[in-house]
Amino acid sequence: MLLSVKALYTWFKHQPEPIKAVDGIDFEIERGETFCLVGESGSGKSITALSIMRLLPQSGLQKQNGQVLFKSGESDAVDLSELKESKMREIRGGRIAMIFQEPMSSLNPVFTIGEQILEAVKLHFPQLSASEAWERVMKALTDVQLPDPETRVNSYPHQLSGGQRQRVMIAMAMACEPDLLIADEPTTALDVTVQREILRLMKALQQRTGMAILFITHDFGVVSEIADRVGVMQQGKLVETGTTDQIIHKPEHVYTQSLIAALPENLARHETHQVVQDQPPLIRLNDLAIHFPVRKGLLRRVVDQVRAVDGVDLEIPRGQILALVGESGSGKTTLGRGILRLTEPTAGQITFDNTDITSMKPAQLRQFRRNMQIIFQDPISSLNPRLSIAAILTEPMKVHGIGESREERIELARDLLQQVQMEEDALWRYPHEFSGGQRQRIGIARALSLEPSFIVCDEITSALDVSVQAEILKMLLELRRQHNLTLLFITHNIGVVEYVSDRTAVMYQGQIVEQGRTEDIVNNPQNDYTQQLIAAVPRVPL
Amino acid sequence: MTDQPSHRQSYWRRILGQTFVRWGARLGLGWVALLAMIGIFAPFLASSFPLLLSQNGVWSSPVLTYLQAEDVLFLIAFFSLLLVLPWRISGARKLGLFVLMVSIGGGLAYSYVDPPKLVIYEQYRVAEREGVYDWVVFAPVPYSPKDYQRDLGDTGLEAPLSQADRPHFFGTEQNGADVLSRMIHASRIALGIGFVATGIAMVIGVIIGGLMGYFSGIVDILGMRLVEIFEAVPTLFLLLTFVAFFGRSLYIMMVIIGITSWPGFARYVRAEFLRLRKQDFVQAAEAAGLPLPSILFRHMLPNGMGPVLVAASFGVASAILAEATLSFLGLGLVDDPSWGEMLNQAVQSSRFNWWMAAFPGGAIFFTVFAYNLIGESLRDAIDPYLSKSN
Repeated sequence: MLLSVKALYTWFKHQPEPIKAVDGIDFEIERGETFCLVGESGSGKSITALSIMRLLPQSGLQKQNGQVLFKSGESDAVDLSELKESKMREIRGGRIAMIFQEPMSSLNPVFTIGEQILEAVKLHFPQLSASEAWERVMKALTDVQLPDPETRVNSYPHQLSGGQRQRVMIAMAMACEPDLLIADEPTTALDVTVQREILRLMKALQQRTGMAILFITHDFGVVSEIADRVGVMQQGKLVETGTTDQIIHKPEHVYTQSLIAALPENLARHETHQVVQDQPPLIRLNDLAIHFPVRKGLLRRVVDQVRAVDGVDLEIPRGQILALVGESGSGKTTLGRGILRLTEPTAGQITFDNTDITSMKPAQLRQFRRNMQIIFQDPISSLNPRLSIAAILTEPMKVHGIGESREERIELARDLLQQVQMEEDALWRYPHEFSGGQRQRIGIARALSLEPSFIVCDEITSALDVSVQAEILKMLLELRRQHNLTLLFITHNIGVVEYVSDRTAVMYQGQIVEQGRTEDIVNNPQNDYTQQLIAAVPRVPL
Repeated sequence: MTDQPSHRQSYWRRILGQTFVRWGARLGLGWVALLAMIGIFAPFLASSFPLLLSQNGVWSSPVLTYLQAEDVLFLIAFFSLLLVLPWRISGARKLGLFVLMVSIGGGLAYSYVDPPKLVIYEQYRVAEREGVYDWVVFAPVPYSPKDYQRDLGDTGLEAPLSQADRPHFFGTEQNGADVLSRMIHASRIALGIGFVATGIAMVIGVIIGGLMGYFSGIVDILGMRLVEIFEAVPTLFLLLTFVAFFGRSLYIMMVIIGITSWPGFARYVRAEFLRLRKQDFVQAAEAAGLPLPSILFRHMLPNGMGPVLVAASFGVASAILAEATLSFLGLGLVDDPSWGEMLNQAVQSSRFNWWMAAFPGGAIFFTVFAYNLIGESLRDAIDPYLSKSN
């Protein structure tokens, strides 16, 4: 037994009732094993880690107690919750290291990565000479397989990619050879191909050093790839612990069962829509290009172009859902906005229902916009915080002459809310009163308010928990059927793609590298890049 | 995303609520409100004309007869505000209605209010001493700001409460006028110049900054150069020049302070609009084909107003200081009292008369301090990291 947590409570001060972020949990971690804490946002998994490390500001806490026994090496077990702050500082970073979700903000931007790792090494091994300490830094960077460590050691955090930064974070954590590594969603901000490499790296390091990992994540795919044992958290309580196999295949607690059932892989399949052969496609892109000029100097001269979308030919058949898949930076969001001319295309042609919209004048385009709408990723920024839901839904209708009077439009808005399964009284409330899932529903209602035939869905579920994601996806499919919508569904989640889409296009560096029926793409990819991408997706074995 | 506690409050309610939870803001607002009331009711607080008198059983109110058009305008503005505020209509309509009522009232006041040209301040005092009236009610401070009390002999430079028969609470200045009365009437200028100059600056700044932020590109480049040009203009010296050329006028002062201090607002609004431009709800408004004015003023401006209001409350303070500085240099208004001009009087005397420096100086200090307190609290309330509840 390396770490044993008993009856851990962390309550935050709040009126009228304290927030019970961690509400009496017990678990143990053995030497050399990976223990995964899984749960939806707000379930208290990160707070658990911070409580173990005693990194929470004392002033905001109502109650923090419990026993955290930690047994390092040959020494006796110590209770971290009662340790003096000076002793605790030796344990933090030295015996227990921690890595976070966002590697950019965890690294200090004004020091080179070498200096930052060196500082950690010197702090925990003051007896080492300068050259020995430096050797350790280099060894750590080599261990995490950072390419070309001799030169990279002198680079600043912003000069590295996201995956490389996370490797540096791991190197920093590993430099002091900790007994326990706490990893708080370390791969959530990374692309799937990078995620796979990082997960492999962590496994390899664990095998070599025999450290234990407390891995916090919300992604069951990652869980099934890395975990030995799993704990499922819900509202501050650990509702179920067991081996990975048990949790995924024979979950006992109702909540775990509902989580597993909500995975897109486990949702009931729907039959794909067949293309009506003789109908022309709704959207046709001809050699579409969107370049952003890079300007420099006093006169803002254009020195280079960022080719976000670089010559895309694509057809979206009427009534179908086309999934656009790609990693971050592949240009999929730019393409989605370009089709709606929210970002102006540099070259090429967009045809919507046999109308060329690339050459439309602004006034004409404004009229035409009611045919094509967009739903956004971020439920927080997608609604104007100063307007009531009624105003958000009725203003576009008024501009486009839908509904004769205000009363009629309010009636229509009420009807829209019903379609997205929301209460009527939501009309008179403001966006901040709703949860993320509810806001996303309102975003969908707003898109539907103009009765469009085409909607771009830009990562609409990636900020949501799996259970909410499942509801939104089901609802979207139902709405598609009712309104005969054509959707461009932009996402990076292959599970969602399989569940929702009829066709799939894969985007890489501004170009479509492969497109076809979703089953074909997912099960039998032809292109090299698509093969890599599909293989990197962490899968829950079914 | 977890469920958040739901409050049925609009954003501004919340911000104002949080601002005025802080004692500093309450103190500041209290002081400004007190000054505003004093300014509006100045003629009834400090006047040589009796509020009410009875002569041979006939009642009359000389103070009403001698009301100036601008006094009437202030009163109209105050009462229309009282009338409009409790109505349950939208803020924009309230503002429109208020402006309409004030402009109609102002037009009427300036065309019909016609006080006697010849003003003899001491006539009612003299008449009262002679026992002409049955009874007479004077204002709390029974001296007008320009009443030099010639009937009472030499009353110049009397310390506060040094004369038992005619109390001057804040003493008198060298011409013999009551200092408290002059300060009461000067509070109007202090408040007026602050609000009007900042109002002008805010309107120009919001429009130019908004256009720069929304269109960016070439508009932004040109706009920023304009901002830099105006930022390079030293306000005080421009004011001195204008006073030298066009004489002393309160209105010119307001306009000049206004048109030289907009760049700060433009910068704030530009930065906010650049940020908001990328926000999804603005993109959604654009995708819905909403017209440009709606996107700019309904979807973007209310979300970017926070920093502007903070800047405005500091701007009011600095406008008041600018006027005081100018008056102190002897380049303020010719005839009407202002706090800065009273400070100037204090240093011109051969010996130091503390009451002439302490009271106007204190008033300037507390007013500027009050606005800074409000600005400070508003800034903290807008900063989500310092948010008190939630």
